[in-house]
Amino acid sequence: MEAIWLYQFRLIVIGDSTVGKSCLIRRFTEGRFAQVSDPTVGVDFFSRLVEIEPGKRIKLQIWDTAGQERFRSITRAYYRNSVGGLLLFDITNRRSFQNVHEWLEETKVHVQPYQIVFVLVGHKCDLDTQRQVTRHEAEKLAAAYGMKYIETSARDAINVEKAFTDLTRDIYELVKRGDISIQEGWEGVKSGFVPNVVHSSEEVVKSERRCLC
Amino acid sequence: MVGPEDAGACSGRNPKLPPVPAPEHAGLDGKMIRATGGFGGGVGSVEPPEEEEEEEEEEMPPPQELLRRYLAADGGQLEPGLCYCPLPAGQPRVQPPLAAPRSDASPPDAGSRHRGEEAADARAARHGGMTNGDSGFLPGQDCRGLEEARRLARAGGREPRHHRLRLEESADEDADGAGSPSDWAAPLEDPLRSCCLAAADADEPEGEGSGSGGSPASDGRGSEFSEPPGAGARGPAEGASPVTSAERTSGGEGAKQQLGFSDVHSNSRNTFEVSHRKSARDHLPPAGPPVPSPAAEQGPAGTSARARRSGGFADFFARNLFPKRTKELKSVVHSAPGWKLFGKVPPRENLQKTSKIIQQEYEARTGRACKPPPQSSRRKNFEFEPLSTTALILEDRPSNLPAKSVEEALRHRQEYDEMVAEAKKREIKEAHKRKKIMKERFKQEENIASAMVIWINEILPNWEVMHSTRRVRELWWQGLPPSVRGKVWSLAVGNELNITPELYEIFLSRAKERWKSFSETSSENDIEGVSVADREASLELIKLDISRTFPSLYIFQKGGPYHDVLHSILGAYTCYRPDVGYVQGMSFIAAVLILNLEEADAFIAFANLLNKPCQLAFFRVDHSMMLKYFATFEVFFEENLSKLFLHFKSYSLTPDIYLIDWIFTLYSKSLPLDLACRVWDVFCRDGEEFLFRTGLGILRLYEDILLQMDFIHIAQFLTKLPEDITSEKLFSCIAAIQMQNSTKKWTQVFASVMKDIKEGEKNNSPALKS
Repeated sequence: MEAIWLYQFRLIVIGDSTVGKSCLIRRFTEGRFAQVSDPTVGVDFFSRLVEIEPGKRIKLQIWDTAGQERFRSITRAYYRNSVGGLLLFDITNRRSFQNVHEWLEETKVHVQPYQIVFVLVGHKCDLDTQRQVTRHEAEKLAAAYGMKYIETSARDAINVEKAFTDLTRDIYELVKRGDISIQEGWEGVKSGFVPNVVHSSEEVVKSERRCLC
Repeated sequence: MVGPEDAGACSGRNPKLPPVPAPEHAGLDGKMIRATGGFGGGVGSVEPPEEEEEEEEEEMPPPQELLRRYLAADGGQLEPGLCYCPLPAGQPRVQPPLAAPRSDASPPDAGSRHRGEEAADARAARHGGMTNGDSGFLPGQDCRGLEEARRLARAGGREPRHHRLRLEESADEDADGAGSPSDWAAPLEDPLRSCCLAAADADEPEGEGSGSGGSPASDGRGSEFSEPPGAGARGPAEGASPVTSAERTSGGEGAKQQLGFSDVHSNSRNTFEVSHRKSARDHLPPAGPPVPSPAAEQGPAGTSARARRSGGFADFFARNLFPKRTKELKSVVHSAPGWKLFGKVPPRENLQKTSKIIQQEYEARTGRACKPPPQSSRRKNFEFEPLSTTALILEDRPSNLPAKSVEEALRHRQEYDEMVAEAKKREIKEAHKRKKIMKERFKQEENIASAMVIWINEILPNWEVMHSTRRVRELWWQGLPPSVRGKVWSLAVGNELNITPELYEIFLSRAKERWKSFSETSSENDIEGVSVADREASLELIKLDISRTFPSLYIFQKGGPYHDVLHSILGAYTCYRPDVGYVQGMSFIAAVLILNLEEADAFIAFANLLNKPCQLAFFRVDHSMMLKYFATFEVFFEENLSKLFLHFKSYSLTPDIYLIDWIFTLYSKSLPLDLACRVWDVFCRDGEEFLFRTGLGILRLYEDILLQMDFIHIAQFLTKLPEDITSEKLFSCIAAIQMQNSTKKWTQVFASVMKDIKEGEKNNSPALKS
């Protein structure tokens, strides 16, 4: 029995190879951390339900991409149908941070004419002693691109939930405001089973209440 | 309901059995209790002769026979097929769904008996070896279990006694006045028997909850019939209990089983606990702390067994235990959610009775069942699914509740019996299946051995001539014997590129130099058009990927035996083919080759394999070529699995979603290694077409499941295939895939596929024109 969710958002996780995309996602969707796991070849798929507010559930479809440059031509075809994205770099790997720019440029091109909301994620923050990227410069970069910045650690489960739920909440707000809307043929946002899918939270609450009596 | 037979059974224990503390003889007690209104378990007649039967039990007595036996032994509780152990001494009679606390009838004796049984059960469960339903079924395992039990019995003549004493102590503490030590001590005379019984008890699944085993007699073990069945009774709690209880109660059988059970108990308290927990699920009366101590468990188990046999105060004790259990069981039975006997069920009530409560109950129960407090599922571990625990305990309704009407009691008894029968059937089926699998495996191994001779002596020496003959091709399909696999792969892949081992050495040393120079300086050289950054990244990536290649095998990781070989081959390849370079996925292919070939040969095969048109197209991410392959694939997809094809289409689930991983790694990441090698075998025989045919085979194999899934679930499923996929199933599905579209075969369709996909729009399916 499917839980009732308001919307389904498709999120894509991108970033250089070995920055920890799969680990972060697994920590979020399966609650576990594997020190060693297979490299992603192509795309892997995950899903999870999040409750951004009491009674408001969003189903997340998460696409985990292969980071190697070679696969970019494959994976960039998937940006267009994603409403949200987590752009990861490894704080202990300067090059992965330097490539953020490239990733963003690419998504800008390939997401047209749709929109995608990104969050910049500095991953492996548990390895602070090996840090090669300061929080400050990462925040600056994020701000320059109109993104939020968050540091996470899949191993120590730091900010993993927060990264995904904050992004989900941000997208939800945009959907509520009408800045992002459901469109035929676009997979980024789909509506759930709740009747009267509304953008206004009050209405949703009201209808729920009505149902209760 | 306690009928006349029950009474008879109780007192008329199989004379063959030495007197034993009641608890053990769950069968007997159980019977009695059941008679009084426990549910399930019809009122059968207890036949002391059951005991003999048990001993002669053949490996797989027909269900009816078993049922009869059980019923006879257990006053009708036993269900056939649940656990039959060819070995005498009532070896793990499976499962043991512990009879739900039988119920109402529990005169004090029954209580005590139950308790004894519980003890026995506890012990049996402890043994663990027997509790595992599996061992209950497979003859081999049964024997093992039995032997173990026997050994224990022999060795631990003293054990039961020992345990019993301990149990008594603990019983004193937390048991409900399980009676004074002396009560338990009584039937110590027969160590062997008690041992066996303990084993049987051990089998009793904890789930049975019957106090058996788990808590020292205290919790109204009586109901723990299930315990006794301990022997091999561990079976799924579901419905198992009736059987177990049945076993217990059956005079002869119970006793016998007790023997088996107690051993089990003493051996593995863990399994006991587990089984206890499982069976206890619904019906288990709050059996007090499930595992106070193995000793405790064993004690009661042993004593219960004895008690059961002896009747008298043993029965008294067992019976005392019953009411409690019965009540719990009853309450469980009557509430809908509670009827989930096995499997995951939310903890109902606290099955753990405190010792005080048990004590109170016991004392209050002067021949009448008292009302046990609500109990939570005794099982702590809902995740554990004992293989054949039948821990359904039919307990009597506590005496302070209105007694069940006869019809009601009968009906409950019937339901109970049915459940037990079901569980038993299931367990038999499982055992059958396992046997079948083993047989098949043996057969396969034999086939491989004989095939190997043919390959080595006939085919390989005459490769050129033989490899395309029909006979060889068919043999090939069966799977290459591992010892010739590498050689055949090498021959089949060929060496169009004319690479020699010396050439490999050259590229390898170039690679090593480059690695050295990278690590020493940041080189500015831009060799062969490949940027420094790229090469460096490749290098780094290779290192990281190697450590992620088949991590569970531990052979490619740093320090592992093949780490350097893998590193060498991949590095040499990037030097040899800078136009392709290193791509994730390659490490898996190289790894599989390394597992089958010597280093240089592996490199040669690797380079030639990656030079095949399909591999080249994918690893270079040549979009138009890849789309062509996907389009051709879809033609045959629609041809063979049209329903699924439309289903995928409706979700826009394009082949790239699942094929990329499969084709890039040649299934070495997605299928179990041995199965992937089988696929490679035929891929070597048939070429790239087989890769796509295998993909269709997988889709066909899981077609039914996939038809019910939505996009994300299909995607998740296909990128992470179930691990229990077998080569027989997969290959029969692949064989059923016809690679023929009207008159055209793969290559023809491939040649004629048209695509009008713009470069980069990979996620659209190409339009096909035939």
